[in-house]
Amino acid sequence: MKSYLSFSYLLVLLPLSLLAYQLVPQKIRRYVLLLMNYVFIFYFSRRGSVFIVLSTLSIYGAGLWIDSLTRKRKAAAQGLAREEKKALKARFQKKQRWILALVVVFNIGILLVLKYSGFVMENVHTLLGQPDARVPHFMQPIGLSFYTLSAVSYVTDVYRGQIEADRDLVRLSLFLSFFPTIMEGPICRYSDTAASINEAKRIRYEDLTYGAQRILWGLAKKLIIADRLNSLIKSAFLHYAKYDGTVAAVAAVLYTLQLYMEFSGTIDAVIGTGEIFGVRVPENFRQPFFAESISDFWARWHITLGTWFRDYIYYPISTSGPMKKLTMKSRKKLGNYYGPMLAGLVALFAVWLANGLWHGSAWSFIFFGMYHFVLLMVGRLCEPLIVRLLKALHIDRESKGYHVFRVVKTVILVMIGELFFRAHGLRAGLAMFGRICTSFHGQTLFDGTLLKMGMDGADYVIIALFLILVLWVSIQHEKGISIRDRIAAQPTALRWTVYYALLLAVVLFGAYGPGYVGIDPIYAGF
Amino acid sequence: MRDTLLEILEEIAPTVDFENCKTLIDDHKLDSLAILSLIAELEDAFDITIPTVEIVPANFNSVDAMAAMIERLEAED
Repeated sequence: MKSYLSFSYLLVLLPLSLLAYQLVPQKIRRYVLLLMNYVFIFYFSRRGSVFIVLSTLSIYGAGLWIDSLTRKRKAAAQGLAREEKKALKARFQKKQRWILALVVVFNIGILLVLKYSGFVMENVHTLLGQPDARVPHFMQPIGLSFYTLSAVSYVTDVYRGQIEADRDLVRLSLFLSFFPTIMEGPICRYSDTAASINEAKRIRYEDLTYGAQRILWGLAKKLIIADRLNSLIKSAFLHYAKYDGTVAAVAAVLYTLQLYMEFSGTIDAVIGTGEIFGVRVPENFRQPFFAESISDFWARWHITLGTWFRDYIYYPISTSGPMKKLTMKSRKKLGNYYGPMLAGLVALFAVWLANGLWHGSAWSFIFFGMYHFVLLMVGRLCEPLIVRLLKALHIDRESKGYHVFRVVKTVILVMIGELFFRAHGLRAGLAMFGRICTSFHGQTLFDGTLLKMGMDGADYVIIALFLILVLWVSIQHEKGISIRDRIAAQPTALRWTVYYALLLAVVLFGAYGPGYVGIDPIYAGF
Repeated sequence: MRDTLLEILEEIAPTVDFENCKTLIDDHKLDSLAILSLIAELEDAFDITIPTVEIVPANFNSVDAMAAMIERLEAED
């Protein structure tokens, strides 16, 4: 069991957990849930489970300490003049900043050591001319990259006065270790989920059916599309030297689809499981392939990671003292558009370096981050030029044609990025991209090559039909129409026909059993 | 305070009708770069610190919303 969409999780572990959760009395239900969370984590990484305990204890203590200083400051500020209050606040904030820094360094430090020390050591040895030297690689505990960011956001929000420190260690532990979100996120904030997880409400029939539908939709995306595409994608990326640029381009397109179907399908299962427990887990996707620009794409893809980087890296850097001075100075020299761009770009660089590294300790991930940084930077720098060009060519920015052009351009740029993301190392990524540019032959699409890579004609037809369904659902969502609400409003017979049809589609067209090797959850590896 | 605020806004985005527009962020009249300039200028002019948590569309969508935010931050202990 490595995935929320595996049969052992959906048919054994989850039902047993729900049963145990429902049968125990309300008074002890949250303790049972906490126990289930830790059993789940312990099952995957015995030694690793100690790190989530350390992380929880560190943010619990730091949160209370920071909070107590805020209370002391408020009591001492009674009756003081504004200037005196400001001086007092500055004094207390200095102490609080130290506590915050210590606990952030501790938590991020664990992440850095376990995730990146091997990569750093390898590169140091290579620089020293010992590329074959043995480097120890630590085992990365399950969910480390996800819960560390949630932990840092909690303690930072307490420091900022956005939330009060939690005095209930059980509630805080439940928030950080909630088993449906531990493996692949989304990256939850304390204010999103802590209260509802801790409430540990009895499961309601409506929540159970609503959640099960969402899980089924996720399962369909993974089994019918992501898993069915797996053998072709594996072969195209592993043996790229055997194929021309057409196969590399097809692999980039299909991998982007696979990644979306696998990750968003898993998030559907996570959100569905949350619904069953009465917990509203934040959405992580919003029709990303309808984005008009790269920045729009990142506001729709892995949303909780993007907002985390915005709130805890981009704004703190771009509005920091030195950057504020830089903005004011450069605005006088470079004007209103390019003036503030310098501070923005410094912060953006930090965000995309962190984003690349977050995905893994490899140069290809750093390249992936820098690729998106450059796209965003070029987009910002060229914006005035594009406005002038469109005016000269009499192209209406609001026209449908221009909108379609922007969407297609964004999708192509995203797919190029995903090619590097999936490739076996940076060198392989560059070689595959080079092949697309130099040896793209249209006839390869029809000469049978693509039918000899683990997918036959029926596979393509099934995938195409299900993609049309996903596209239709996405268009409805983009229009603000909730398909689930629409189905729920239908008569019982029609409603259940739809559910059974989807279940039947998964059973009949899902890629499982002999001859299929499902993909491992891609984001659980980050 | 409102006059100083308007002066700063008109210097950053001279073509925008700040008196009447209530959707400055939602309608992209002020973009993320203009917000960076605005934060730097407001902090300097009013001797306040605009924390990250305050950088939300609701606080920058209109002159009234910005004025209310500045007043709140000035009054904060």
